[in-house]
Amino acid sequence: MASNGLIRVGAVAYDPRVVPIWEGMRDYFREAGVPIDYVLYSNYDALVDALINRGVDIGWNTNLAYLKVMKRTGDHARVLAMRDVDANFTTVFVARTDTGVKSLTDVKGKRLALGSADSGQAAILPVHFLQLAGVDPDRDCTVLRFNLDVGKHGDTGTSELEALRALRDNEADVTALADATWIRETTEGRVDTRQIQAFWTSPEYCHCNFTVLPDFPQAKGEEWTRALLGMTYDNPRWRPLMDQEGLKAWIQPTLEGYRVLSEAVAHQRLDEKW
Amino acid sequence: MLLRPALETIGQGEPIGVRATHPSVEHDLRAWCRVMGHRWLGLSPSGAYLFEKGPHAELGGADWGVRIPPRKDGDLETRDWMLGRVADIPATADTTAGFAPRGAVIEPGVPPFHFTINERDAVWAAEVADLYEQATASQWDASKDIPWSALTPLPDAIERAICQLMTFLAENEYSALYVPAKFVPQINPRFAEVVMFLSTQMMDEARHIEAFTKRALANGGGLQYSALSTQLSLKSLFDQHDFTTASFLLSVMGEGTFLDLLKFIEAHAPDPATAEICRRARIDESRHVRFGIAHVKWYLTAAQENAEKLMAAVRQRAEYMRSVTEVSPRIVEALALLAAGALEADRLPAGFEKVRVLLHEMNDHRVKRLVACGFSGEQAAEMSQMHTPNFM
Repeated sequence: MASNGLIRVGAVAYDPRVVPIWEGMRDYFREAGVPIDYVLYSNYDALVDALINRGVDIGWNTNLAYLKVMKRTGDHARVLAMRDVDANFTTVFVARTDTGVKSLTDVKGKRLALGSADSGQAAILPVHFLQLAGVDPDRDCTVLRFNLDVGKHGDTGTSELEALRALRDNEADVTALADATWIRETTEGRVDTRQIQAFWTSPEYCHCNFTVLPDFPQAKGEEWTRALLGMTYDNPRWRPLMDQEGLKAWIQPTLEGYRVLSEAVAHQRLDEKW
Repeated sequence: MLLRPALETIGQGEPIGVRATHPSVEHDLRAWCRVMGHRWLGLSPSGAYLFEKGPHAELGGADWGVRIPPRKDGDLETRDWMLGRVADIPATADTTAGFAPRGAVIEPGVPPFHFTINERDAVWAAEVADLYEQATASQWDASKDIPWSALTPLPDAIERAICQLMTFLAENEYSALYVPAKFVPQINPRFAEVVMFLSTQMMDEARHIEAFTKRALANGGGLQYSALSTQLSLKSLFDQHDFTTASFLLSVMGEGTFLDLLKFIEAHAPDPATAEICRRARIDESRHVRFGIAHVKWYLTAAQENAEKLMAAVRQRAEYMRSVTEVSPRIVEALALLAAGALEADRLPAGFEKVRVLLHEMNDHRVKRLVACGFSGEQAAEMSQMHTPNFM
């Protein structure tokens, strides 16, 4: 707790709109009777350090940041809540139609564009799904990496958009990106779907969550989660906030969906320096 | 976009199937479902992609197939739109419907608009759509529709009387513009016809201010004196914070009394421009009076004890105005002079007599209008006696 008794929630300021979101969250929690303060960091490693070193009480983590916290707490960190969209995230593989790619095995021999190295949805998991299908990108493909906004774990989506641009400009044949990014770009007409089409959707996995250290008081955590889950999309006060955070409901966490990223991280030996 | 009409016709939790030939539809649709909060079910045995409509998705129930029957003359009048959901005028209006037209299906999450008049009985009038229709058909142009060129120099005394009356009329019309203007932003848009009618009333009053002021300046005179008693009276009107009370005092009592006043000035006008201004203004005012009567009638029908509230408002205003016991001398003299036709000692008594008759008629007509609203004869007589000597 902060010296004033408030629960401190840490988050990463991946975009200027994070500030109004958290100002709104602070208003919400004050009215819900569980006042919080928020602390913003420029990158997830700093947030994870802050959580471990008790600079904040709750971390609004990406899936990768959560795994880092788990490693540093001997798998004892707890999760308080997540967004509805965090429980069933998927990665979509898309290809230029002139490449004839129709499956993951077809990616062999192709130019593969990948997002930021620390993006679960646009780099770590795509490599893992290809490996599970018997394609080793480093060995079998020409890989173009767009390491943009590293440290923000793909939150900004800029590397995904760069990868899509690379397909459009015929610099790459295949890329993989968050389903939400893909559907936003296509429904808003920024993708020519005659030129670029989706051909594979990953199994569902988990994305962000609110993480606490093992000794965070159980009752306090339950009270905080109950308050958060009381935020409803039908309430005009909070709807804009939920729209900005891209959710329609806060939910109790499900953790099964972190396993696949955990396996990917282990397989790619990304956790050796954690 | 193609899915939206189908989604609008089904309920939450109901399944919807999509057949598509685009090769990536499975991936695109699935991603779209997740973002929109629908539950993805996958490919059905029949070859359609299935999903279940989510709780926060498309709205249902908008009207479709509404067709206003044509009138013989080909017109489409405002009252004709009382069809489908538009015809549902709620007794208590939803404060979270915002500016959505009555009858539209509203997405949830609208921020509160803080309209304070949300009860139908507080504003409604049975004939309001018809009155609005008449108002829009009766607009006129104070620059072109008044025979300004027919003005010729008048004796100073007569011109001064006209200018004094025009000053008085314009001043009163400012209040008649500001009073409805004050209430419009408070009225829930579910009662659109009332807001629309009040807008025509405001436009009418703006035009009257224009015409009266122009007449004061058009023939060698100018604006004359504003009496303290007039300001007191209009302030007590403008300070009303209840719509029905304000509408009652302004339109039934005040504008009603003005009908007789305008008729009197028209009848004794020394020039055709003044007569025409008063004639046209009177026609407009009579619509406002009819709305006032129709609304008060509605209000009294809703609850008979409402009569006592309005009577209390009349008493309270009379109390505020107790220092003013008679019509402003400048106004009485101007009216008497017009009726006399010249500032001559032997003609003036007849003029004053005509004003006395006018005041008597004003009272009789006020009583009749109050009875038309639904007050008893006794109540009507009492209230009419207490009405402000300022007319408005």
